[in-house]
Amino acid sequence: MSVQFIDPRGPRFAAGITSLISLAAFAAAIGALANLSTANVLMATLLVLFAWSVVAPKSHPYQLIFRHLVRPRLKDPLELEDPRPPQFSQKVGLSFALLGGIGIALSSAELVAIAAAFIFLAAFLNAFFGFCLGCQMYLLLKRAGLLGK
Amino acid sequence: MDSLSLVGLLLVGALLAGVSYRFFHGRGHKVAGKQAIDLKRLGATKNSLPAHSLGKKATLLQFSTEYCGQCPGVRRQLAQLEYRFGGLSHVEVDITERIDIAAHFNISQTPTIFVLDPRGEIVYRIGGVPKMPLLMAELEKLGVK
Repeated sequence: MSVQFIDPRGPRFAAGITSLISLAAFAAAIGALANLSTANVLMATLLVLFAWSVVAPKSHPYQLIFRHLVRPRLKDPLELEDPRPPQFSQKVGLSFALLGGIGIALSSAELVAIAAAFIFLAAFLNAFFGFCLGCQMYLLLKRAGLLGK
Repeated sequence: MDSLSLVGLLLVGALLAGVSYRFFHGRGHKVAGKQAIDLKRLGATKNSLPAHSLGKKATLLQFSTEYCGQCPGVRRQLAQLEYRFGGLSHVEVDITERIDIAAHFNISQTPTIFVLDPRGEIVYRIGGVPKMPLLMAELEKLGVK
């Protein structure tokens, strides 16, 4: 099986941006900032971004920004990483964003806020503490029978 | 509670979660109850080749999955220990499709590392990226130095 390895800082950079968007979405959904329609727009943006990175990770805007603006300013990575763990995290993110999408459809601010809070927690811990969803959740989900295959 | 402090609560909660994750992650604990491991039955490998022999003093048995971003780094670290210390062996089992093994040993995160004594009995287990000084202290108890 041939997998093209990636710079591990790419997904963490992406998680940093995701954590900012999701925090803003949470703040808007609970009325601390702007209003519910802003929360909906932010959640819809997250939904599109997660779906994009699951379907076509290479053309994803985060990756383009990282490749052209961030990576040239960094040293070469010490090691490259298998892309499958971060892709797994993106799928987990997408499922939470879908929950947020249902919240938008039902115009339920609570659902949008809950989804945003979960996305924020996962993305924030990944970006700043090196937390890895694939390491912590794959076996739990699989053992609970929530993952097929 | 007003909504702004709810945002603060989320932020503080996330920070606390991160700090305690860093603190608790990779600490191991002793395993009582002498369960012996059959590396052959588990299908243990080293560099993707079958590896069934126990270390003379200790064996590090690493459980990994395809979706585990931290596993390759831990594999390199533990392989280095094996290289540096005589009588220590490092082997790996990929449990991506072996949920039966994960359930049997109650493994819920990867990497999970078992420290085995020369008879193959589990004496110590670590969930996550091992904290090296703690792991070394356990290995020294088994005579690895």
